[in-house]
Amino acid sequence: MMSLGAIFFYIISAFILLMGILAVTTRKIFRSAIYLLGSLIGIAGLYFWLEVEFIAAVQIVVYVGGIVVLIIFSIFLTQQSGKEMPRTNLSRNIFSLLAVIAGFLLSCSLIHQYGFEAGSQPFDNAVSRIGLYMLNTGKDGFALPFEAVSILLLAALIGCIVIAMKSVPTKSTK
Amino acid sequence: MTDQLIDFFLLMKSELLLLAVIFIMLFMNITAKENADGTPVDNNHSILVTANILLLLNFLAGFFMNTSGNLFGDSFTSTELTAFQKNILNLGTLLVSLQSYTWLKTHKHVMEFYMLLLATLLGMFLMISSQHMLLFYLGLELSTIPLAALVNFDLEKKKSAEAAMKMIMMSAFSSALLLFGISLFYGTMGTLHFQEIPAALNGSDLQLYCLILLIAAFGFKISAVPFHFWTADVYEGAPVPVTSYLSVISKGSILFVMTTVLYNVFAGMGVEWYLIICVLAVATMITGNIFAVRQQNLKRLLAFSSIAQVGFILVGMSGQNTEGAVSVTYFIIIYIFSNLAALGVISVVSALTGKEKISDYKGFYKTNPMLSWILAIALFSLAGIPPTSGFFGKFFLLLAGAGNGNYTLVIIAALNMIVSLYYYLKIVKAVFMDANEEPIPTINLAFFPKAGLLICLIGIIVTGLASGSYNYIQELFASL
Repeated sequence: MMSLGAIFFYIISAFILLMGILAVTTRKIFRSAIYLLGSLIGIAGLYFWLEVEFIAAVQIVVYVGGIVVLIIFSIFLTQQSGKEMPRTNLSRNIFSLLAVIAGFLLSCSLIHQYGFEAGSQPFDNAVSRIGLYMLNTGKDGFALPFEAVSILLLAALIGCIVIAMKSVPTKSTK
Repeated sequence: MTDQLIDFFLLMKSELLLLAVIFIMLFMNITAKENADGTPVDNNHSILVTANILLLLNFLAGFFMNTSGNLFGDSFTSTELTAFQKNILNLGTLLVSLQSYTWLKTHKHVMEFYMLLLATLLGMFLMISSQHMLLFYLGLELSTIPLAALVNFDLEKKKSAEAAMKMIMMSAFSSALLLFGISLFYGTMGTLHFQEIPAALNGSDLQLYCLILLIAAFGFKISAVPFHFWTADVYEGAPVPVTSYLSVISKGSILFVMTTVLYNVFAGMGVEWYLIICVLAVATMITGNIFAVRQQNLKRLLAFSSIAQVGFILVGMSGQNTEGAVSVTYFIIIYIFSNLAALGVISVVSALTGKEKISDYKGFYKTNPMLSWILAIALFSLAGIPPTSGFFGKFFLLLAGAGNGNYTLVIIAALNMIVSLYYYLKIVKAVFMDANEEPIPTINLAFFPKAGLLICLIGIIVTGLASGSYNYIQELFASL
């Protein structure tokens, strides 16, 4: 007999997977983005189910609020969002389906075979601890990765500007 | 406290110096003067001089005050070896920068070029020094994502943009594999510290699966077959200096890290990864060579030849002994000199004439004897013909590979070296022997590219003949 928690887990997981499948199979790119949104919300739900509310909030703020909006923006700027994408041919569909199923089954069976045991330690996930570890320079601290990310963002910003700016100077000189 | 602070600055010296260079360049960009139409005042000359001097100073500083120690709760390490590896990459970046002078002189975004280039170098440094999977992953991303923007730096060319797109898709895919592997690893071990992983390895199937995912991610970055599909298109579409950077520095750094990770962290799964590396090596050598034979575009040819070279490096890595690690590092130095010399010549010719086909190089010797000789010596070194250093590099790689007793692998590698001779000599033949009505006109090299090519030439000859270089690397590995 499954516990109520397990039932919820499977419902949320099924929702995530369903949304993911819809996102890659739909032929309208805008709908695809919306399905992705659903999938990401489902993952946030999974975090709530795990009782890590802060991570769930971050998931919603960053992915649902930020990244999907960015994706939708770029779709509006570059694609004809109402048009249907060209149909992919059958053999490619079959092979990608086979690859996905094979990968899924392999991962599942390996994880199942390993038989993870539930940890005995109580799970302390206070937000203050996240903050402390993120800026801690000692053992298990993540100050250096944090700084590395800031350089990565700076570089990404500059790279984007250079690429996006390219047509402006040539137009002004002509 | 002051001792700790001095330690901190010394241990993170290479990273901090690089950051300083990046920010000096960024601030110079703010104050740079422009003409009315947005072009720089003196053809970027002063900027390029400053950049090259800063990089030279950065390289020279890498020789001094190298200490060993750990920082950030043992997640960052610095040893004589990492300092040496970082300085190899410093030298390679300096050479790329010298060679890109001709191309950058007319480019509108020189500062951004250097900022992105050095950001990727910083990522590689972090990756080499990392002792924690998270830092390693971030270093890997930092060394890839800005590179995709650099690939797009021929801003008017569609091919360049397409190459950047392909590269970012492929690197996203490989990152996903890596992250999936890392998260499963974390699930089985409860730690991501390199020092704690060896004890937590239990040889279960799930961990083997994670290891395969990890090696697949490495395979994408070093473009080992079957993860090589992006390589030729990206190398062809990217500006030549970026191609050289991708094929030499980026690959070299990953190979450094891959050797360290496989040899030190996953030594307990040696039997498993030995088989994977052997299969990858054979597939990479054969596929790289066969495709290289068919190419007419020099950049594409060198792309496939660089795939084949990775195959040879993997043969050395499969040795699983100190010689394996030493010979890989030694070969990467030689590879940097040889490949940068070859691509340097192509870079200058491509920037000035736009010609990149082998047939365009017919009669090149008549008009540019000096460049022809440099190209020929570089190609000889890549093919592994004595007395160039490429011979010694390959010799040590095969010797290390033979140390594990897998002679089939060594024989396949030796046969592949013969195949590779064919396409390298095909270029040499076109340059020296074929007649051409309209050869590439005589090229007057500016000081910087000339200096870069000369350093490469000296490097090709000296690293092979001076046996001290190999011994020095051996001592570095022994001192760990």
